[in-house]
Amino acid sequence: MKMHIKFYKKVLVAGLFLTSLFNTSCNEELLDPVPLTTFSEASVFNTPDRILQQVRGIYSAVKNGSFYGGRFLIYHDIRGEEFLNETTNGVTGFSTWTHTIVSSTGEVNTLWNAAYYAINSANLLIDGLEKNKTVLNNETLANSYLAEARFLRALCYHSMLSIYARPFADGNGSKPGLPLRLLPEKGAANNDLARATVAEVYTQILSDLNFAEQNLPANYATPYLNTTRAHKNTAIALKTRVFLEMGRYQDVITEATKIVSTTEPFRASSGVANALQADVTNTFRTPYTTTESIFSMPMTELNLPGTQNGLGSYYNPGPRGIGDFSLNPKGIIGNTADFSATDKRRGWVLTVSNKPYLNKFPIGPQHLDYVPVIRYAEVLLNLAEAIARTTGVNARAVALLNAVHGRSDAAKVYTAAEFANGTALANQILTERRIELVGEGFRTRDLMRLLQTIPGKANVAAVNPSQSEYIWPIPQAELNVNKLIVQNP
Amino acid sequence: MKRLFIFFSMIFLFTGVAMAQRTIQGSVKSSGQEPLIGANVVVKGTTTGTTTDLDGSFKLSLQNSAGVLVISYTGYETQEITLTSSNQYNILLSESALGLEEVVVVGYGTQQKRTITGNVASIKGEDIASMSVQSFDQALQGRAAGVNVSIPNGVLNNPPVFRIRGINSINLSSFPLIVIDGVPTFAGDLSANSAANNILSNLNPSDIQSIEILKDASAAAIYGSRASAGVVLISTKRGKQGSTKVSYETWGSWAKVNRLPELLNAAQYLEIKNEGAKNANLPQQFFPQVVNGQTVDTRWYDYIYQTGFSHNHNLSFSGGSDKTTFFLSMGFTDQNGMIKANSFERKSARLNLDHKVSKIISMGASVGYSDNLNAAPNTGSLPGQAFNTSGLGRIPLVTAPIVSPFNADGSYNISSNNQPGRGANLQQIGFVNPVPVIDLNTFTSGASQIQASVFANVNLLKGLVLRTQYGIDNVMTESISFASPVHGDGFGSNGSATNNFANRQRWNWQNTLQYDLTLAESHNFSLLAGNEQQYTKSEGWGANRTVIADPFFTTFQGNFTTIVPSGNFQGENYLLSYFGRLNYDFNKKYLVTLNLRQDEFSAFAPGKKRGIFWGASAGWSISEESFWKESLGGTINYLRLRGSYGEVGNNNGIGDFASLGLYGSGLYATDPTLAFSQAGNPDLSWETSQKTDIGLNFGLFNDRITGEISYFRNLIDGLILNAPLSPSKGVPGNSIATNIGSMLNTGWEFGLSGTVMRKGKFSWNSNFNLTFMENEVKTLASGNADILASTGGLETANIIRVGESVGSLYVVETQGVNPANGRRIFINGKGEKVQYTHVVAAGQSRWTYLDGRTATAVNQSADGKIYGPTLPKWFGAWDNTFRYGNFDLNFQLQYSGGNYIYNGTKAGLRDARFWNSHTDVLDRWTESNTAGSIPRVVYGDNISNGSAIPMSENVEKGDFMRLRNVTLGYSIPTSVFGEKVKISSLRVYANINNAFLLTGYSGTDPEVSSNGNSNQAPGVDRNSVPMARTFLVGLNVGF
Repeated sequence: MKMHIKFYKKVLVAGLFLTSLFNTSCNEELLDPVPLTTFSEASVFNTPDRILQQVRGIYSAVKNGSFYGGRFLIYHDIRGEEFLNETTNGVTGFSTWTHTIVSSTGEVNTLWNAAYYAINSANLLIDGLEKNKTVLNNETLANSYLAEARFLRALCYHSMLSIYARPFADGNGSKPGLPLRLLPEKGAANNDLARATVAEVYTQILSDLNFAEQNLPANYATPYLNTTRAHKNTAIALKTRVFLEMGRYQDVITEATKIVSTTEPFRASSGVANALQADVTNTFRTPYTTTESIFSMPMTELNLPGTQNGLGSYYNPGPRGIGDFSLNPKGIIGNTADFSATDKRRGWVLTVSNKPYLNKFPIGPQHLDYVPVIRYAEVLLNLAEAIARTTGVNARAVALLNAVHGRSDAAKVYTAAEFANGTALANQILTERRIELVGEGFRTRDLMRLLQTIPGKANVAAVNPSQSEYIWPIPQAELNVNKLIVQNP
Repeated sequence: MKRLFIFFSMIFLFTGVAMAQRTIQGSVKSSGQEPLIGANVVVKGTTTGTTTDLDGSFKLSLQNSAGVLVISYTGYETQEITLTSSNQYNILLSESALGLEEVVVVGYGTQQKRTITGNVASIKGEDIASMSVQSFDQALQGRAAGVNVSIPNGVLNNPPVFRIRGINSINLSSFPLIVIDGVPTFAGDLSANSAANNILSNLNPSDIQSIEILKDASAAAIYGSRASAGVVLISTKRGKQGSTKVSYETWGSWAKVNRLPELLNAAQYLEIKNEGAKNANLPQQFFPQVVNGQTVDTRWYDYIYQTGFSHNHNLSFSGGSDKTTFFLSMGFTDQNGMIKANSFERKSARLNLDHKVSKIISMGASVGYSDNLNAAPNTGSLPGQAFNTSGLGRIPLVTAPIVSPFNADGSYNISSNNQPGRGANLQQIGFVNPVPVIDLNTFTSGASQIQASVFANVNLLKGLVLRTQYGIDNVMTESISFASPVHGDGFGSNGSATNNFANRQRWNWQNTLQYDLTLAESHNFSLLAGNEQQYTKSEGWGANRTVIADPFFTTFQGNFTTIVPSGNFQGENYLLSYFGRLNYDFNKKYLVTLNLRQDEFSAFAPGKKRGIFWGASAGWSISEESFWKESLGGTINYLRLRGSYGEVGNNNGIGDFASLGLYGSGLYATDPTLAFSQAGNPDLSWETSQKTDIGLNFGLFNDRITGEISYFRNLIDGLILNAPLSPSKGVPGNSIATNIGSMLNTGWEFGLSGTVMRKGKFSWNSNFNLTFMENEVKTLASGNADILASTGGLETANIIRVGESVGSLYVVETQGVNPANGRRIFINGKGEKVQYTHVVAAGQSRWTYLDGRTATAVNQSADGKIYGPTLPKWFGAWDNTFRYGNFDLNFQLQYSGGNYIYNGTKAGLRDARFWNSHTDVLDRWTESNTAGSIPRVVYGDNISNGSAIPMSENVEKGDFMRLRNVTLGYSIPTSVFGEKVKISSLRVYANINNAFLLTGYSGTDPEVSSNGNSNQAPGVDRNSVPMARTFLVGLNVGF
């Protein structure tokens, strides 16, 4: 009996030990789990399709709700005088509207983060693709991807200059610009980088855009891609904006002429046949991919701008939006001389509870309206203004103005005789921009490139160009880490 | 030995025959009327004695000359009873405060308290069982030195802030490791929405036998990798041999909101806000409203807070034979909070079994199943919610009292842009109307959890035990939210329903070999070797549906026009460990413990997964020395010096794939994308902490008073920081997880407990603890770059800076109001006084020096100053129990201080937008009140009060003393029921929780933590609901 118990004991002990050891050795692989929903950085250049997905990833980064998904455009509009705040909500631009932004304010940081994330996405693609060109086995395609990345990088830098740096006109680009990040960043190194001057950043922007113009495809297979991916005309169109903000009007004319015919109907003769739509409202409705929309941010239900980011969220009253901002009756909508009651664009003004709201992006609460980044109408007005500022009152400039104004208000046809000089014509073009481009993020950009005072509204005072509030501060998070960065005065 | 016993018995027999004898009888019970089985009843100075039987009764023959009876029982105070002529003695033993003879649970085993050289605090289950709490951790306030538990606010089942010896991490969790019956469990709020679901609430507090808190390296090192923030070991109740005992416990309680800020009424609001409008050059903006003939004066609190009734029931059975014992319990609790629509419900069952298969094999199981359901509105009081515009903590503070929640026809007063209807007022008067939000929106989180383990012990040889334990801990949570399209959070999406399901599954297998050996009768060895594996898999999925098809629908399953995925996650981790422990003592006089553990954890970088942790401690029981026994032994009967040092690790809270460089898959409209989502760090490894503990334990007057003094030093190194990167680098999250940074916690702990007085039926037991501690950040990432931490993503009031206590406040100094013009005076970084006014003429600056020159706007980075610490420098509690006959009275005083709080709520209550204000703004500067303490009111001003720039005006001291608990109980003598009713014990009691608060803090409560357990942003009070005060009556009955 005793023997039996001992035997039993030994077997049991041996069994337990063996089981435990066996079990342990069998589970070593559990120490290296592989994520099932994300990719290792080592595998993202493995296939042509993953490279293409990364190219789209840069667009998607630009489309961030804090950036071109909505808010960036909103900031430039609500800093101006066209809108009145309705919700006093610090999360939805109240401080921007009141010019009480400080370096720690949310939007100062989130815009910076979103734009630089997009820039780094471009830099990562440029760097990785150079090293993995063989995966594509197609030099032209590789260069077109590089061109898309550089186009988007230029767009990001140019957009950020417009709000974090003094306008080019102030000291001809000599003021502090942005930290010019052109290399991929993945880790802890290179935190410190001083700001390049405004002019230096512009030089890089133009270099990127020139490369993009050279290497982007002339067009894509579908109108959807022609609107949502950059092609040659997209790069050229952006250059007209860049040169306009630099005050290099002759260059605006040179670039614009590549995609604007000398006579009506104004249209691009090469690449995508960009042209004005007869009815402007067609540009702002599904499928949003007319040839007027040179570049837009597409939306789907699964890829929305995010809560409190969409243009419609800010401008539409409930239930289609939150209605954070109504139109200022004393703004451009109060100007019935230039913006007549019969103007088709008056349809963008919707009155709810006796308050006018902008109805240009009406879809809500899912804000599915594409966000316009570059429209052909802007290119025409860029060109018109450049001509007016260089050659004075000029028939082509007036024709360009009429092309934009006339399609919505046939009753009014501007004539050269109406304008005493080029400045008067340019001012009329600026007024036209306020009407045509309202809600598309141009108001304070147009004021600032000309060093004009930002007008006051309600109980918010005007901001003149010498005030520190004229531009945003560099964000706090950057100041905390980047020891070489200098705050705006 | 046996022979010796017989020999002595014979002697007693003889002497017994020789002298006159009598027989006495009686019972020995605990102060809670529980029979104590096997208590020793001995005639003092003799070996005449007996032990109590299964009913706690005894019968003893003794000589007539016997004078004093000594009654002792492990874990209870030994009592002496002078014998009288009576032959009946019913004795109640009170539990000993420290119970040095007690056996306590330590990692992977048990140990006699007297031989532990590490620092372990023990808490009895019954001390926390009868409180109106949702989870046991909420009841640990003030129970042990060095352990600081605070309730962040009055939201039910919101996890408490739980810190053992301070904050022990910056980026990972500082919440201790919680181990239930040997299996590490899940902790934290597992809800995906506003209904907080502290998953520890799934453990029924009534099922807890004891809680051991391992504080130092020696005690905790056996949990090596997870011991940095301390370890909490929970043992559930197990059956005892004997006839089946039935116990029923119940209570009912009422919770009310405490210390709400006093707000402006309608008339005062009109006065202040219209004055502000005038000062902002605006015409009158606000007007009195009349609804149904009544001038509106709404006290919004009335629509949000209530008296919440809760009730709780537990039924347990325990008992067993000499082979098998069992503990079976069922619990039900249904609790309603002080906030409307906030509730908690738990149904739980537990079966613990122990069975002796043979002389060498025993086995057992612990199986707990629990199901909870939490419901809460959007309280704006959970971490990250502080600025929710629909947060119920904030709504009553900001909404103007001049509008009514209802229109004249009884419908909700709401506007087309999702605000409360403003009536004739020219400005907004609120963010949302809380009444429809409470009525129409629902947030719930339910969790079903099974915690089960089985074990077998095999006694291989004398003293050699092989143990294997396999446990599972599976928790499934379902979070459901519905936001109505009518008003509030669902308005912007025209109705929104989100369901999330998550499944967290863990298995844990431990094998240990324990060998106890005594050599030469005085060298005691105890050796432990073991291995442990733990695998955890977490998966969650869900979707959000918006744009409701018809207002009829109120659930996810109803019809909506859109759906997007929401709350998807998938992860796994694995921990593989080998460990060993050696305890040695010489005659219980010289004691040594050594611990060693190797852990490998999957989340760390390849080649960096392994960590080796260890702890060593030594003790010297001076009182065991003969010189001591002969000199001071009568007074200081127990004195021991101990010290420990060790290195332990932390992986608690790290992401499963934290070391990898990752790209996330997304969408650009309809097309898939790939984008950089996480910066990888090939060097990511364990956080380690070097813990030193030096202590002194003592017992006075035969352990009538016991005490403990400890010094500790905890140097945490290799802190995993999300090292901040320049945002211009565009790395996701602007950070990279890096082992960089170090932090030091040092402190002193004092504990004293004992019987202050015992006289006849009266006794007074007292338990006192006090901790002093300090934290200092030593190094940080990126060249010691500051880390700023925000509250609710909007307000950044905390900073982590080298040389300061972690999470100190970082604000701009203010110096009151300029009596000349009523402007707030700020002190800029150069020490200059700068004043602010909100409205100026075009071109003028809002910021000026006092002489009117334009000044640069003040901002936090250039002008901020540090105020700290936010962690209490001292805290503790004094617990007292008085007994008189069958009455018992307990009160617990809790105290804490030396810290600062950022009272962000105060900033909100002085904001000059439409927000309602505290009545203190009535003392604003006016031309006739130039000494006013509040700046001149200018409509729209959000800077002078600190809404836009955190400022020192809103920094307050956090010192307080609280009467945390008062309990009065009465144990009804079982004799009143007679023999027929088999009631063995019956106690009724009443309790007040949070009875009284003494503090200079002007906010609702100095313990409020809007950021919950945050290591980085502690000490912030921003828009949280206050604390509750709870009244409770209860009944415990045993059969």
